[in-house]
Amino acid sequence: MAIIEVKDLTKIYGNGDNAVRALDSINLSVEEGKFVAVMGPSGCGKSTLLHLIGGLDRPTSGSVMIEGKDISKMKDDQLTELRRRKMGFIFQFFNLIPVLNAAENAALPLILDGVKQERAKAKAMEWLQKNQLGDRSTHRPDELSGGQQQRVAIARAMISDPLIILADEPTGNLDTRSGDEIASVLRSLVSDWGRTVLMVTHDPRIAAYADRIIFLKDGKIVDDTLMSSDAPENARRLKEKVESL
Amino acid sequence: MKGQFLLAYRYLTGRKQRMVLTTLAVVFGVAVLFGMNAMLPGIITAFRHSMITAAGKVDLSISSKSNGPFNQSVMDTIQNAEGISVSTGILQRNVQIPESLGGTTDPITRSASITLNGLDVETARLVRRYQLSEGRFLEPGDTDQAVISYSLAQKMGKKVGDTLTIPSSQGKVDLIVVGILTQFESTTVDEVDVTLPTAQKILGLEGQITVIDMLLDGRVDKATVEKNLLQILGDGFKTGQVELGNELSATLKIGERTMWLFGIMALAMAGFIIYNTFRTVVAERRRDLGVLRAIGASRKTVMGIILTESLLQGIIGTFLGLIMGYAIAYGILQNLGPMIEVFMRAQVGPPEITNTNLVASILLGIGFTVGSSYLPSRTAMKITPMEALRPVTLVVERRRRVLRAVLGTVLIAFAIIGLLTNEIWVATFSTLIFLVGLVLITPMLVKPIAHTFGRLLAVIYAREGTLAQGNLSRQPGRAAVTASAMMIGLAVTIAMIGLVTSVFDGFIRYLDRSLGSDYLLMPSSLVLGGGNLGAAPEFAQRLESLEGISGVTTLRLASTQTKGAALQVIGIDPQKYPEISGLEFSQGDPQQSFSALGSGRSIIVNGIFATSSAVKVGDTLLLETPEGEKEYQVVGVAMDYLNAKIATGYISQAFLEKDFHITTDVLIMANRKEGADQTTVDAEIKAAAKDYPAFTLFDAEAFKNSQMEVFQSSMSMMNALVFMLAIPGLIAMANTLGISIIERTREIGMLRAVGSTQKQVKRMVFAESLLLSALGTSLGILVGIFLSYYLLKALNYAGFTLNFYFPALGILVAIAVGLLFGILAAMVPARQAARTVIVEALRYE
Repeated sequence: MAIIEVKDLTKIYGNGDNAVRALDSINLSVEEGKFVAVMGPSGCGKSTLLHLIGGLDRPTSGSVMIEGKDISKMKDDQLTELRRRKMGFIFQFFNLIPVLNAAENAALPLILDGVKQERAKAKAMEWLQKNQLGDRSTHRPDELSGGQQQRVAIARAMISDPLIILADEPTGNLDTRSGDEIASVLRSLVSDWGRTVLMVTHDPRIAAYADRIIFLKDGKIVDDTLMSSDAPENARRLKEKVESL
Repeated sequence: MKGQFLLAYRYLTGRKQRMVLTTLAVVFGVAVLFGMNAMLPGIITAFRHSMITAAGKVDLSISSKSNGPFNQSVMDTIQNAEGISVSTGILQRNVQIPESLGGTTDPITRSASITLNGLDVETARLVRRYQLSEGRFLEPGDTDQAVISYSLAQKMGKKVGDTLTIPSSQGKVDLIVVGILTQFESTTVDEVDVTLPTAQKILGLEGQITVIDMLLDGRVDKATVEKNLLQILGDGFKTGQVELGNELSATLKIGERTMWLFGIMALAMAGFIIYNTFRTVVAERRRDLGVLRAIGASRKTVMGIILTESLLQGIIGTFLGLIMGYAIAYGILQNLGPMIEVFMRAQVGPPEITNTNLVASILLGIGFTVGSSYLPSRTAMKITPMEALRPVTLVVERRRRVLRAVLGTVLIAFAIIGLLTNEIWVATFSTLIFLVGLVLITPMLVKPIAHTFGRLLAVIYAREGTLAQGNLSRQPGRAAVTASAMMIGLAVTIAMIGLVTSVFDGFIRYLDRSLGSDYLLMPSSLVLGGGNLGAAPEFAQRLESLEGISGVTTLRLASTQTKGAALQVIGIDPQKYPEISGLEFSQGDPQQSFSALGSGRSIIVNGIFATSSAVKVGDTLLLETPEGEKEYQVVGVAMDYLNAKIATGYISQAFLEKDFHITTDVLIMANRKEGADQTTVDAEIKAAAKDYPAFTLFDAEAFKNSQMEVFQSSMSMMNALVFMLAIPGLIAMANTLGISIIERTREIGMLRAVGSTQKQVKRMVFAESLLLSALGTSLGILVGIFLSYYLLKALNYAGFTLNFYFPALGILVAIAVGLLFGILAAMVPARQAARTVIVEALRYE
């Protein structure tokens, strides 16, 4: 069953002569429990697509259905609740709150949902431990490495048991080893926890962890490929595809 | 509280430097408001306490509504009234004993005040206990015998058998001390008790008393007796203590209001700083707030975080402000206490915490803080997750700025027109509009002003100056907000200095006009009213008869109640007074007004009274007099120098005598005949005044100089307050500069990485600070000129007639202060920036 259904999605920034068509009548559907990567050159509309699916931005036309509900018609409060309960976000620059420690950062979505702090923090600790950060829970973001910060962000994204994880260049700010670690964690969120992950990346090596890869160019889907189970084989095929596009 | 408290608390403790600076602003505002108001009740309480103890313990007192003397025959009426056990009539007046007669040698007052009680010896001891430590009590038939209090005996070194000389309406009188009251019996007031006829003679009030004290029959209801008594006595009388010192109370009240005004101004400044800080905070945390929104924080939650943060700061700041305010008040009272004791004959206790002051300070402190963060919190609420993740496009920012600048210009134009109208409320509103307009237009002014001063700065800081200029122009909104905090501080400074110049000039004019005679004879203490003993008309007549004198005029004094407020009544001679002295008129024609005074019950009131009681020319006032209520027609609004602060009315001496029974002079003015030799005339007057030691002879010039000194010393207090208001401006500068350095940590790291030296980074921050202060000072000067014109208008509306002076001195001071603050504010941030560790800075988020 499709958990995300995008129909004729168009996003135009600016108006008149300055208008930029970031997305041009996109149609897409994502099955539940799949890891989908979105690739494409800079400015092709990858992040815009992610933001629209995440309810962070509103489309110029078209619709985004999450679990069969059109979120482009939702009010701000409904969207906020949707983000809080059904979605988890992971950003390129981690975007942790600098004055909170790792456990508090991870617990934030639950705290914002009115869950008692002790309970929220206990659950945050579980997720930090799953991400091998149990001993770093009282550290502030500036006391953690980039990879560690991104794992806190993953814990934060997972804490409210969301259906969908939206990751915008999650390894873009990390070294190769940390990048691979994060990609494996995302993979395990799909394989072990049955979540749906939609990830934007420009790195074929990271995209190779996905089940399906969508290529965007000038706001349009130009390719949609299903991956095999052989990761190195996938990487090789991807490289060829990127070069051909 | 969905995490708001946690986030607010963490943001506060995570940015300690900023929290301290912002909280300091609140502390400052609350301290001024609370401290000053805690101090005044202390003084007022001391004053009241002294008055109550002076009245002794009695069941009921009767005095005239005007507090003036009344015929002692009223005693007979009282004696026959129902429910009264005993009663006694007293003639009570405060008398100053000058140094020449052995008064205390206090350097400030050069005199001591005593309360002279004329007692009806037969009945006095029945009503009040007079326990003696030595000697005897007064006996009927005593003429120059006196019983004095223990403290007075100690102070003046008097014992039984000694002579005590005090001033009298005939000059002076020698009294023989026959008894000294016990220490226990003595109140804080230094009292001298004589027989009623003796007191009447000394005070020139034959057949008069000022109060009747009585003890009631134990079985009757006090309220009923009181009601009956007032019915028998008719209009013109009241029950309760004699309210001496209305004038002093009035002065204290003005002081109290001024303190409130300053406190509220300081709080408003604090509010502005808090507004600034939170505006910067919201801008700085745009990304954080956007992330919060992205991960599911509702708009209300985001708004709540900012409001909770300000609430916490409000609570902490207010609490510390209350402590600091109390400490300030305590310190001032400790230092001023001895002086006040001399003036009021009362001990000043510690600062007093009234419920009103406490509750108002807490509410205002917290309210201002939370209120100031309201707008920034709304801005925060409106931040969308996308806005946070993406920089705002410059086009939108610029378009918004242009729109605001246009609106600002329109508002400023309206404000200037409004200021020039004659309606004070329009002018007040215009001042607010002007401020709003300037705040709107400022972001557009940042670039040109930064550019202009940047050129100047380039002379000293060639490379860093350009960088600093760029930094400011890049974030014009933030620069504008910082500069506007400084603008307010400097504007208040300029306006106050401008106002002081105008007031100083105005008062000198009043001084010349109303006390412009060649000679002034007045009691040594300038406080008119209760404390001063008048001289019988013979004194003025004697002066007039002197060879070298061309004319003499006098002032007489009474007090009354009208329209529910106290009014000091000055009796003048409507013919002679304008010849020798004069009043500064703001309503009515001088000549017509004076002639109206001579022909009937007419009154000229001063501006303070006219404004506070909404009285205008042509109105009729009902004055309480010992003869009952009398109708007086208002014929003019005018003022003299001595009574500028107190609600005052001027009537003719003829009616003062008729209605208030006052015939003694408290101030005598005389002019020298043209061509007369000054030395000879001086000697003549001195000889004539010798018998009236309560009066001091001033020549006009010397008096003017002495007044200047008093004025200047009170101005230094004013300047201290103004300075206290400028300090929040400094805090604001340091605060915003500090924040902008924190925000640019990564950028500064970059500069260091590509080869800037520590010194260059420091110089860049200093240059930026100086540019900011140049902007703030320029705006401050504009607002300062506007504000000083407005304040003058407000004062003139209140009944003064003051001229506008361009506040040149204030502008110079503002430029100096601006420059100094520019340097001071940058000190910590510059050091912080220079010490940035490059690797850490590049990793900073």
